[in-house]
Amino acid sequence: MPKTTSSVPDARPEQKRLPASRRSRKTWLTAVLFIAPAFLAYAAFVLVPLCMSLYYSFLRWDGIGQARFHGLTNYITVLTDPDLLQIIGNAFQLVLYFTVIPVGLGLAVASAIRGQMNGRFGMATRTILFLPQVIPLVAAGIAWSWMFASTGLINQALKSVGLSSWVKGWLGDFVWALPAVGVICAWVLLGLCTMLLVTGITKIDASLYEAARLDGARPWHEFRYITLPGLRQEIGVCITVTVIAALASFDIVYISTQGGPGITTTVPGLEIYRLAFAHRQVGLASALAIVLMVLVLLSIAPVQWFTRDKK
Amino acid sequence: MAGLTLSALHKSYGKVDVIKGVDLTIENGEFVVFVGPSGCGKSTLLRMIAGLEDITSGELYIGDQLCNDVEPRDRSIAMVFQSYALYPHMTVYDNVGFVLKLAKTPKDIRDQKIREAARILKMEHLLDRKPGQLSGGQRQRVAIGRAIVRQPEVFLFDEPLSNLDAALRVDTRMEIAKLHATLGSTMIYVTHDQVEAMTLADKIVVLDAGVVQQVGSPIELYQRPANLFVAGFIGSPKMNFVEVTVEAIESDALVVSSKDVARLRVPARVTGVNVNALLTLGIRPHDLQPHDAGAILGRVSLVERLGNETIVNLELASGAPWLAVLDGDQPLEIGQNLSLAADPTKAILFDKDGLSLLGSA
Repeated sequence: MPKTTSSVPDARPEQKRLPASRRSRKTWLTAVLFIAPAFLAYAAFVLVPLCMSLYYSFLRWDGIGQARFHGLTNYITVLTDPDLLQIIGNAFQLVLYFTVIPVGLGLAVASAIRGQMNGRFGMATRTILFLPQVIPLVAAGIAWSWMFASTGLINQALKSVGLSSWVKGWLGDFVWALPAVGVICAWVLLGLCTMLLVTGITKIDASLYEAARLDGARPWHEFRYITLPGLRQEIGVCITVTVIAALASFDIVYISTQGGPGITTTVPGLEIYRLAFAHRQVGLASALAIVLMVLVLLSIAPVQWFTRDKK
Repeated sequence: MAGLTLSALHKSYGKVDVIKGVDLTIENGEFVVFVGPSGCGKSTLLRMIAGLEDITSGELYIGDQLCNDVEPRDRSIAMVFQSYALYPHMTVYDNVGFVLKLAKTPKDIRDQKIREAARILKMEHLLDRKPGQLSGGQRQRVAIGRAIVRQPEVFLFDEPLSNLDAALRVDTRMEIAKLHATLGSTMIYVTHDQVEAMTLADKIVVLDAGVVQQVGSPIELYQRPANLFVAGFIGSPKMNFVEVTVEAIESDALVVSSKDVARLRVPARVTGVNVNALLTLGIRPHDLQPHDAGAILGRVSLVERLGNETIVNLELASGAPWLAVLDGDQPLEIGQNLSLAADPTKAILFDKDGLSLLGSA
């Protein structure tokens, strides 16, 4: 009968094994050491400022002198002051330009160039649309300010096609200033959204489109039943990034209109800056910042929920 | 149901010709398998039939309708893809019923057809699942179910078993064969696996480099290959080849020999063949048997014992590698000399152009 067990002793050197409690302690320590650098950086640059903002939001403080506890007064001001409410409303209006236009156009472009992704047309489209992303926002703001000026390119183009009655100083107009700023932001973010969506669309199995064609699908059906569900996560990322960009916008607005005319283009980011450093109302600025953060989280949460990966 | 007629079908990508003039008739209800090595154009030909690739020139008829410029959805075909191509966000029920939904089929009829397809494929319990929750074999069944509900004139299968493991391939292959028997539809099936081709097909179309090499029944292709390519491609293990010289010409046979093969009289078409002409002799591994005075002598280089048979790798005197499949468990050792006899009636001679010299059947 064949021998099934071996009497040969294990040739491996016997290792010194620590007791279980010391082993788990060592593992825990290693984990902490690995996490510590990232956590310290996160704490220093996110958690501490956040907690300080929260603390300041309950104070009446000019940033230099004696701070006094102010209770919820700053929050009540933020949520009742008509100007501040309009400013928050401006940010939500910008979501239309920051999010709806770039994501909508990005989807259209991605669907249109899906078949020519690696061809010259696809490459050129992607490069041209992504270009605004590599231009500094300040430069983009200045360039668009010139184009929207009374004698700028936009007005010249309108005149050349016989629409002289439409000519106006777009960024100084009470009605059109916010949409004009929105167009600049849409232009900047279109490239990012297109790149994300184009990358996502390449992951969709081409045979799904072929199967759909055999099933009798028209281009709209392909978009509705294959492209949109296939890009759900990418669309989620685009919406998240652009909604945050809209609600926390600052630079483009500051460069192009400085919030004017009046407060028609003022956004919370700009107002926080003004309140804190021009009007020396650090408490109110902090309260507005906290409210803005909550609004961002409330806006993002449903997006994340709807676009999560449903297994 | 409908047959197909392919007439001088060409496909080119720029200057590259992929399909070089295919003429083929597929009868109504036939199970036809396109077989050939990777890159031979079999999938392209199938996709041309499906309408997923444009036809550069030639004519494609499905039934009596010229379909060159007909949209895929209007060709009355259904296709099963190698990757299954199931819509990942839809349930099995929705996947199978998608074509009916697009066709605006009333809900109750749609439901009835989906459940009927599920019953045929024994996948009623899978209807609420999504493709991600299914095994490879189950996904393949769903893909077939999606094809069934269309009630197409022609079913197209593009290497549908390639992503399945060996055991599942055999099961699914049998299911497809049963499905053909049940539905009686015209089916065109693409594979590079000649075992699939042999077991499923009524008719095999062997393709190489965009050219049809031979069309025929599996046994016809096995026993009477038209050329060296078909002889080498059909049959597993593949046919052994060796170069031989014609020693004598008889009325219906050629006597050939070489460094590796002693005189062998092979029945063949003798017209156009001269004494001393160089030919290629082909003998299938299963047609070789050990024999003390056999015509073929080689040295055993590897022995693979499968229990019911022994696969012997031989090295002939010229260095040519040959295979012999011998019955039972043969007591052979690596390095020993082995003499093999071949049934001359099953040996095939090929001329210098690689064309078979088999006489008329």
